[in-house]
Amino acid sequence: MSALSRDAIRTMMAEVLQAQGKSMPADDSANLEEIGFRSLDFSELALRVEDEIGDELNFDAPELRQIATISDVLDFLEQLQAA
Amino acid sequence: MSDKTEPIGPASVVVVSGGSRGLGLAIVEDILAQGAKVAAFARTVTPELEAVAAAHPDRVVAASVDVTDVKAINAFLKEAESRLGPIDALVNNAAMGQDSLHVHTSPEQIAKIIETNLTAPLLLARAVLRRIMAKGNRGRIVMVTSVCAQRGYSGLVAYSATKGGLDSAMRTLAREMHGRALVNSVAPGFFASEMSSVLGQTQLDTITRRTPSGRLVEPDNIVPVVNMLLFKDTNINGQVLTVDGGNSI
Repeated sequence: MSALSRDAIRTMMAEVLQAQGKSMPADDSANLEEIGFRSLDFSELALRVEDEIGDELNFDAPELRQIATISDVLDFLEQLQAA
Repeated sequence: MSDKTEPIGPASVVVVSGGSRGLGLAIVEDILAQGAKVAAFARTVTPELEAVAAAHPDRVVAASVDVTDVKAINAFLKEAESRLGPIDALVNNAAMGQDSLHVHTSPEQIAKIIETNLTAPLLLARAVLRRIMAKGNRGRIVMVTSVCAQRGYSGLVAYSATKGGLDSAMRTLAREMHGRALVNSVAPGFFASEMSSVLGQTQLDTITRRTPSGRLVEPDNIVPVVNMLLFKDTNINGQVLTVDGGNSI
């Protein structure tokens, strides 16, 4: 299956947040800590993306630690799909 | 004639895996300072290990060998014995690290960690013990494991499994080699240098505060413990000696 678009990943990220009673801000520069999107939430999102594309997106923790904003999340998942 | 088993003597020819840098290199230098001989190998021989070998040509054999290459390991051990004399000790130090959540670590990477950190050290211990026993000698084995084998740390699932496996094997070997070998583990906590590469100063300060000794662990803290297990008559056998400033208590 082909890579997911940035918009599709954004929608999935909103679903992860909504499942916890949180909302996705419109501004992609929003800080993940402030919106309550934790590292395991990123993990869940990455696994959801994997399910959709039918491929594994493995990565090391140091890369994850660089992620601070919604935009970073989307960038990183786009990069992982392209790798 | 006494029926008491005589103590196993101090090591005279020690194999050190992963001996080209960091803790492994510090152990190599300490063994030489103790007056013993060293057969050190690593995937890559660093200029530091080359310099040590050049300074002690009669007491050091150093080579570039991949710890997972059984054939190359056996050839290295044979060559080391022909130059240094019978091997009677091993420091199983070579290992690869991990920093990834289990769910995001590929099956291939998990297999590689297990091969490098568990299978290879077991095969190396087997090879060294076979050489010791075939000559009717006795010896000492030191496994460098980790506090991760005892406590849970995020990002280290496969790594922890290998270190726990090595500790378990160490205990069984200590019993199995009844009187023929002393087998122990040294389990370092996280080195300050390792942590500083992934954590910020604030996090490092917090960990330091929570460490009862007030200091993070350095390779220099591990070297004297390995020295004791290789050279002293302590009758310590089948034990894990944790060196982490008390952080895990």
